[in-house]
Amino acid sequence: MAVQIKLMSSDQAMLVVDKEVAERSVLIKNMLDDIGEVDEAIPIPNVNEAVLKKVIEWCEHHKGDSPSTNDEESDSRKRSTDIEEWDQKFMQVDQEMLFEIILAANYLDIKPLLDVGCKTVANMIKGKSPEEIRKTFNIQNDFTAEEEEQIRRENEWAEDR
Amino acid sequence: MPMRIPTCPETTRRRSPRLQSVSPRRKISNSTTCDPRPTKRKRSSGLDKKTPVAVEPTAMDCDNPELSPEIATETKESVKRDIAPFLTRHIPSQYAPQGTPEQREQQKNAGQTSNTSFCYRHRPDLKCRRPADEPTMEQLQSSMDSLPDADRQAVTHVWSLYSVAPAPIRRMMLQGILQASCFAQLSYLSTEIRELIRIDFISTLPVEISFRILSYLDTNSLCRAAQVSRNWRALADDDVVWHKMCQQHIDRKCTKCGWGIPLMERKRLRATAKQMAMRAKDPSLFTPATATNEITDSTSELNSNGKRPAGSDDTAIDNNPSSSPKRTCNSTISASREASSSAVLPPTPKPPQTLPWKTVFSDRFKVEANWRRGRCNQQIFKGHTDGVMCVQFDDAILATGSYDTTIKIWDLATGEEIRTLVGHTQGVRCLQFDNKKLISGSMDGHIRIWNYHTGECLSVLSGHNGGILSLHFDNTLLVSGSTDHTIKVWNFADKNCYSLRGHTDWVNSVRIDTDSRTVYSASDDSTIKMWDLDTRSLIRTFTGKDGHVGHVQQVIPISLPTYQKPEPTISSRGASPVSGAGAGTGGINTGVGGISTIGLASNAPPSTLPPASPPAPPMFPPSSSIAPTGLFPSISSMGGSETEADPFLIASVFSNPSRPPPPHMLITASLDGTVKFWDVPTGACTNTLFGHIEGVWAVAADTLRVVSGAQDSMVKVWDVNTGACQRTITGHAGPVTCVGLSDSRMVTGGDDGVVRGYLFRCEREEEGVVGEQ
Repeated sequence: MAVQIKLMSSDQAMLVVDKEVAERSVLIKNMLDDIGEVDEAIPIPNVNEAVLKKVIEWCEHHKGDSPSTNDEESDSRKRSTDIEEWDQKFMQVDQEMLFEIILAANYLDIKPLLDVGCKTVANMIKGKSPEEIRKTFNIQNDFTAEEEEQIRRENEWAEDR
Repeated sequence: MPMRIPTCPETTRRRSPRLQSVSPRRKISNSTTCDPRPTKRKRSSGLDKKTPVAVEPTAMDCDNPELSPEIATETKESVKRDIAPFLTRHIPSQYAPQGTPEQREQQKNAGQTSNTSFCYRHRPDLKCRRPADEPTMEQLQSSMDSLPDADRQAVTHVWSLYSVAPAPIRRMMLQGILQASCFAQLSYLSTEIRELIRIDFISTLPVEISFRILSYLDTNSLCRAAQVSRNWRALADDDVVWHKMCQQHIDRKCTKCGWGIPLMERKRLRATAKQMAMRAKDPSLFTPATATNEITDSTSELNSNGKRPAGSDDTAIDNNPSSSPKRTCNSTISASREASSSAVLPPTPKPPQTLPWKTVFSDRFKVEANWRRGRCNQQIFKGHTDGVMCVQFDDAILATGSYDTTIKIWDLATGEEIRTLVGHTQGVRCLQFDNKKLISGSMDGHIRIWNYHTGECLSVLSGHNGGILSLHFDNTLLVSGSTDHTIKVWNFADKNCYSLRGHTDWVNSVRIDTDSRTVYSASDDSTIKMWDLDTRSLIRTFTGKDGHVGHVQQVIPISLPTYQKPEPTISSRGASPVSGAGAGTGGINTGVGGISTIGLASNAPPSTLPPASPPAPPMFPPSSSIAPTGLFPSISSMGGSETEADPFLIASVFSNPSRPPPPHMLITASLDGTVKFWDVPTGACTNTLFGHIEGVWAVAADTLRVVSGAQDSMVKVWDVNTGACQRTITGHAGPVTCVGLSDSRMVTGGDDGVVRGYLFRCEREEEGVVGEQ
């Protein structure tokens, strides 16, 4: 019988999860390591219920994964934006939810989830023209026409492949 | 649908009286009054564009147009009865300014917890501008204007109430509205919402996360991201991101995109890695200037006129063990050049350079793009009266040796001949220079050491009983290969000289790897041999069914950063080659000729190496061979094993933790028309490059490409990782006998006496295109 713990979201919703699942979050794991067993719900003040549920769903699916190697050196090498299929589907959410998932993964210190979130955003940027990127993220072009032309020329070299 | 439609008007009707106007004079633009929190401005702007709310009036109007007048009559009272308390509770500052401080505090807390703690839209500190709103709002305004007064009030009140409500109540309101909506309105909502929930992730997320996202982009996407907005530009051009990009591509082929960028200094890259990691977390830590001021040599090279810093020469000679041999004056040169100017501090330190990593990357990217497209400036060096047999160049000068018995020094910038070294009596077959001296070997059987800055011949070495076909020196060791089938190792430090015997025909190419204390040789007997300098004996012969079937003209040992140990195969010698620490791993090794030189490689030993061979006592009396300068009085007439090595020697070379592993790979060229790649630890031939129609005389390589020159007058450029032919370049009127390669330049010498140069670092306007893909 798996040990379960309780989490309290920012909007005061109580979620019960397996300890093993919750410990995908380094933040929670460290907290549990520090305080030992607790009956009380652990408050997660920065994450609301909907997002927390989503994050737990991810942790459930990935609970068997080998612990992430915190090797900055190696992951700077693989610039791959490949995302496994389940994660891709998981990330098919609106931008607000994606935004919140990334923030939650960062706050809860779930590096693989943060990576998936960042890759998802990177994939939204990839292959798009600057104007398409602006449209995708609702960004105002705050360059003057001259600046824009100059910056375009500065970056022209990368188009030469 | 049928189930839902009836509820529509009903719900509306039931709810409408309560939703009546609060303040009739308020218009859309200022409909939100009132937030006590500092988020006020944003909240109002947020409300302004809550177009989904506009569904509500539509629903009311279409479903129950006659409703409005009735509502209007009730308005005044309902305001007082229902709405005012609601507003008072949620916007106390305006509706209950007299409330006690505690109350207000309470309200504030309640508001903060209940409403959008980090809502992207309404956080005032987020720079989310929404230009698209204006047309929408104008449209909304005009449709409002067309409504009767009472309706306008009603609509406004719905909005007001919604806008002041805390999150849970908003949610309830929305639930009700959703229930009340027909599919038409829901469809409208779903379309609009997709448009509305668009977040500027890069500007809004914490900086370290934005860097992380940007680090997943390819070069092109990253450059486009820099053109999106000022915010994006600042982040997408940051050193953190481009430093990573450099780490991934420079001097190695990115496994993902297949691009590699010419050599630069790995050490600097690594040295700044920690800085960059810290900067990624807190960009204020390192300004771009401090973060990049260590990028010196390799980048300064790009922009400088190619002159070495004066004074670095002396130190470089002793400390830089990598230098290049005659014909393979390839990347080794650029590598040793960098090592010489970086591993050694020049007496007059250069002012710190502050090139951003993006500039570093783009400069090199351009060179690589030119290589790929064959865009280059061509030079032709004419002057030799017979076939050119050897070339080497650095940033500034080019040295060529010819069958016309002379060596010529050329100015690479102008293409002019600087001087001619005269002294050999037969064809010059090989040469190598460093900052101080040039050493040449000739068919006349002599090795000459020149001060090529003055043209003076400093000394002549004799010892071989035949023409000198090849030589390579590194630090204090010189290796030479001869028509007498032997290899001689000359030690300048102890004036000792000995032979390595085993080849049964001319020795066309020799290379020394000081770090691993090994020598490689290629011979007309169709074999390549690897020798141990410690025991002076043969380690391995590279031959077999996949081996060359013609004279082997050139051998180049090289270590690729992308090296992966091949599947273990039983080598022809039956030894277990790789088991020890370090040997055969993918680590960056120090290759012969400095493909990866000291100072660049992680596991490189300190640059002050002990003499490669143990100082053996002169067992033999001074040879009768003439050594005019008094050098090498103790030329031993013997030395070196003629027998094949035993497995223990192989194990001691590859598996000895105290001994740096040999380079991983050999690249060889043969008159059988092929270029072959060999795996050094196993002795297996791993790739054969077909394409030349006739015999291959010369090959040069770096970690990105291989260049070969052949009897068929063609020069071919190959991918060093895959062995695929990237380009074929014609131009010589006869066989191409020698090639030289650096990160941005290639020089070929031909039997026609002409030397051709190709410079791939150039602006587009001035370039031509060579070769075919």
